[in-house]
Order: sequence, then structure tokens, then C-alpha cells
Amino acid sequence: MEKQSQPDLEQNEQDQPTRELTNSLQQKLDYLSTLRQAISAGDDRLIYELIDGDHYHQALLNEEPNPARNTQVNLITDVHPAISHYLSTKLIDYLAHEYPFFYYEETQLGEFQIYFGNWWDRRRFGKLNALKVAFEFSQEEFNKLQKTFELAASHKRFNTDAIQRISAANDQLQALIDAQGDRDQQKDKLRQQLKENGQRNSLFDSGRIKDERQQIIDQLTKLADQDEQANNAHATMKDNEAKILTLSKEDTILAYEKQAIEKSFKSFENFNERNRSLYVDYLTTLIGKAQVDADDE
Amino acid sequence: MLMTNDAKKIDSATLSTHGKLSMFNEGLKSGLANGQKFTKLMDQLIDTNDGETLLAAAKELSDFKLDSAYVTFPHQYQNADYYLIFMSRLLGMHDDEHAILNTRAHSESLYHVFNELSDDYTFLYQVVDNDNGGAYYHEQTTGENLFYIHLERRLLRFNSTAFTNLFINKLLLKGVGVDQINTVLATLINFGHYLQDDFGFNVDFNILDVANAAKYELHEADLSGEVVDKLFVTAAKNDYMLQNSPHGHGAQIQLPGNLLIDIFDAGSAGTAKWVITVHDDDQRVSWFDVLLHFDFMRDWYLENIESLAIKADPLVFA
Repeated sequence: MEKQSQPDLEQNEQDQPTRELTNSLQQKLDYLSTLRQAISAGDDRLIYELIDGDHYHQALLNEEPNPARNTQVNLITDVHPAISHYLSTKLIDYLAHEYPFFYYEETQLGEFQIYFGNWWDRRRFGKLNALKVAFEFSQEEFNKLQKTFELAASHKRFNTDAIQRISAANDQLQALIDAQGDRDQQKDKLRQQLKENGQRNSLFDSGRIKDERQQIIDQLTKLADQDEQANNAHATMKDNEAKILTLSKEDTILAYEKQAIEKSFKSFENFNERNRSLYVDYLTTLIGKAQVDADDE
Repeated sequence: MLMTNDAKKIDSATLSTHGKLSMFNEGLKSGLANGQKFTKLMDQLIDTNDGETLLAAAKELSDFKLDSAYVTFPHQYQNADYYLIFMSRLLGMHDDEHAILNTRAHSESLYHVFNELSDDYTFLYQVVDNDNGGAYYHEQTTGENLFYIHLERRLLRFNSTAFTNLFINKLLLKGVGVDQINTVLATLINFGHYLQDDFGFNVDFNILDVANAAKYELHEADLSGEVVDKLFVTAAKNDYMLQNSPHGHGAQIQLPGNLLIDIFDAGSAGTAKWVITVHDDDQRVSWFDVLLHFDFMRDWYLENIESLAIKADPLVFA
């Protein structure tokens, strides 16, 4: 207490490294207290500038990279989740307007899952990084959506081909079931032929008779295989129907996603472009708001 | 005094004859009294304008034994017929004449027909032949029991399965118009309301319940997601979106007329109980109405009936 009341005296006594140290600590204190004030004042723009000043200056002011701007940022990495949580409120308000089809769930402090849409079994589409003002889409889900946009040109959905293939397989199985009567008739005929073949007995022609016999047996085996397939067909068809349902559901979800993007952004390209400029766009609105607030005062 | 003097003169054989005659006479008297009691109840049943009197008569007649050892009546109606008369009278007292009470040629037996339906469909009561008592309102061609009624216990239970089978599978899907079906439904539903309002019956309207609070319980309490997936896909094909339920685990779909259909798990933790609810501003729409009016919802319901069938009171509809 006594020392603090005599700062001048103390400073005069310090050597160069100690002065540097106290300066450096003062800078840290300043950094932290500025951040604390920014949070108290709800100045989200300033918070963004404080947590990643280098990025802020490059992105918004077109300045050259300069790591010195981020000297202090490591001081607050441990409270990143809490800062993220804090920043998310205004950010999500903004996003709700710009991306009305995204929904967010804070799975743990400052971590935000993105849900695409409000339809049944909507997909988890990745994460929202509130500190960076960026979507981190799940690559797999994003690729499906991209493919959906590509396929739309040829009037196809993501799973059109797969559904057609499985449907065709089911048609084939149904035909196999329907043909049971024909196969039974064929088998009767072949068994009769086999019997006749067995009754024929020729010293000179035994090779040919043997060949003929083998042919009949091969045909019967083939029919028996088909019978077995037909017997299992119902289970396979049911499995296939379940697969088709899953694929149709995915197509429906992708169609909704595509519609939602087209409604808000006209095209997938615009959507991607907007995502890339999200940081700048959002910070620009924050700056604009600050301007308006200042003018009002 | 005279009797005792006379009696002294009669020998034992005559005494026994007298006893027999007297017994016979008493038997006749009580049989006739029984018949008279019956006709009095009949008067009540067919003529009274007082609800409670009507119900009391129906209740007694529904298990009245008209024949006795000494007096039998060749012309009689069945106990079940009194339920039918009661229903017609009650509807008539409320000016609903859609259920037409007919009598079969050459016999005393009654049945209902509806102008809106072909005469192939005849309705009558079947008395339950066990300790529970009560009776089912039964359609003869299809064998469907539309509702169960117990006059003594004052309860009425509608049966979703019978309504679905008769009015949707047999009538709607064979080309009978929704308006005609609705007229018949309205009469049956009104009957439930009259019982409820006039006599305080406990009525379960089941699939026909129009209250927004009605939770239609599904047969498959732990509904598989696939069934909901199917609705999602078919709804999209019909330009409706099945949405994620805002409350809890489930889905909802908005239909024209400001109808909101929810399908969700209303169970407690660990015990699933999937239900459907129908929400509309005026509380005039039941799940059954939705099935009648929205083809894709109906197709979905019927194609997945093993899972989706709405549960009726298990005590009377096993």
C-alpha cells in the first residue's frame, strides 16, 4: 500500500528491465481493463478488435498483417468460451435475420451447434464460431448440399439414382416372386425329362445322354436358386423399402435446404460468398451501429 | 270366517287341487302384473317427454324378462331393441331424425338405417352377454361395433377402429361423399353429447373428439421414427412441411384452415407415449375429420395403421 502511494519514487529506483516489465504488465492491465469495459459497455465491435486485432485490421481496414497487434490475446484464451457466449447474443440476432434457416444450440458454454431448418429431423450442419464470426460447416453435410445444387441442373436429386437402382431391384424381386408358378411348371417338365433321360439306355450314345442329363440338372439347379431368392425376397424388399425411405427423407431435407438458401440468397454461390464475407459484414454493421449511437448522443 | 267353514268341508284331495289352482292363479296374476309393468315401461319409453323417465324406462327394459312360468308373450322385442328405441327417442327429443328406426317385416325386431347411407348398412344394438352388461351399437354388414353404452353406469365409449373401418375403408374409399358421412357422424356424435349433457354420461369421443386438449393415443406407444419419416416425405410431396416440434420430441404440421397437427411423445421419462393432437381455433376438428379431408394424411394413417391406430377404451374394445 505504501509503495503504491509513491509510484514516482519507485520508478526512479527501477532498472531498465524492471521498467520494461512494469510497462509490459501495465499494457496487459490496460488490455484486460479495456476488454472488461468493452464488455460492460456492450461494445462488441471493440471486443472483436481486442480478441484478434490483427485480423480485424487486415479485414476491415485493409492493413498489412502485423502480429504485434495480437501481443496480448493469449491472456484471455482460457475465457474464450465465456467471451464466445457473450458475443453470441448479438451475433445470433444478426444471423437470425441474414440466415433465417439456421438455428443454434449452445451445447456447452460458448459452443454453438448449427441446425439447418425447422423441419422434421433437420440436419446438424456444423458449428458457429462466434469469436471468428464464421460458420464451420460439417464438410460431409456441406458436400451433400453442394452436390444437390449441382444435380438440380439435370433435374435430379441427391439420391435419385440410388432410389432408382433400389426400386429396380425391388421390381426384379417382385417379378421373381410373381414367376413362381412358371418356375414350378418348368421344374415339373425338367423332372419329367430327367426321368425319360434315365430310362434311355444306349451303348453308343451314352456320352450324349450324359450331357443332356447334366444340362437338365443345371437348369433345375438354376431354378432352385431362383426359388430361394424368391423366398428371401420379401425380407430383402422390406429392407430396400427402408433404404428408399431413408434416401427419400434425405432428398426431402436437401430440397428444403436448397429452397431455404435460394429464398434468402438466390443462389448457392451467393450463399458461399456471404459466408466468406461474414466477418466483415457483421463487423461493418457493428461499426455502423456504433456510428448511429454516437450521432444520437 | 266363511272360508274357514268351507275349508273344513273340503277333503284333502280337493285341498290340493285348490292349492294348485290358487298357485296357478297367483302365477297368472304375477305374470300379468309383470306384463302390465312392462306395458307401463313401454308407455314411458315411447311417449314420455322427460329425459330421466325415458332413461329409467330404457334401463329397466334393457334387461326386462317379460315371460314368466305361467304367462308368455308370443310377440316380443329383444332387450337390445329398447336401446335402439331409447336412442331414437333421445335423438328425436333433440329434433335429430337422421337415424331412421325400422322394423323388420314379419317379426318384432328393430334396426337403424340412415338416408345418407345405402340400406346395406343396418345398425342395431348387441347386448353384452357377461357380467359387465351394456351393449354395442353394431353395424351388421361389416360387424363393426361403433360404440359401447352402459345405461346403468352412464358411460359411452366410441371406437376408433370401427369408425375407421366403416366410414373410411368401406364408405369414403368406395365413393360415399364426405358430406353424407358427416351427417351420419354428426348424429352419432350428437347422441354422445345428449347423453353427456342431459344425463351426465361419461363419454369418450375417442377419435371423434374435437377438443384441442384431446390426446389421441397411438397403438405403438413407442412410435418408430420411420413412421414419422414417412409422413415427412409424403407431406413434402403434397407441399406441406412436417416441422420439428417446438416442445419436446416430435413433429408438427400446419394444414389449411389454421389446423395444427402435432405428433409427439407425451410420455414421462422412460415410458414413451406417442400421441396425436389436433389444434384449431374453434375446436371443431377431430383427428377423424383430418382423415376425412386430407388424402395424404389418411393414406399415411392407413398405410401405418398397425402403429398409428388410435387406442379406444381397452376395457370394452379389446
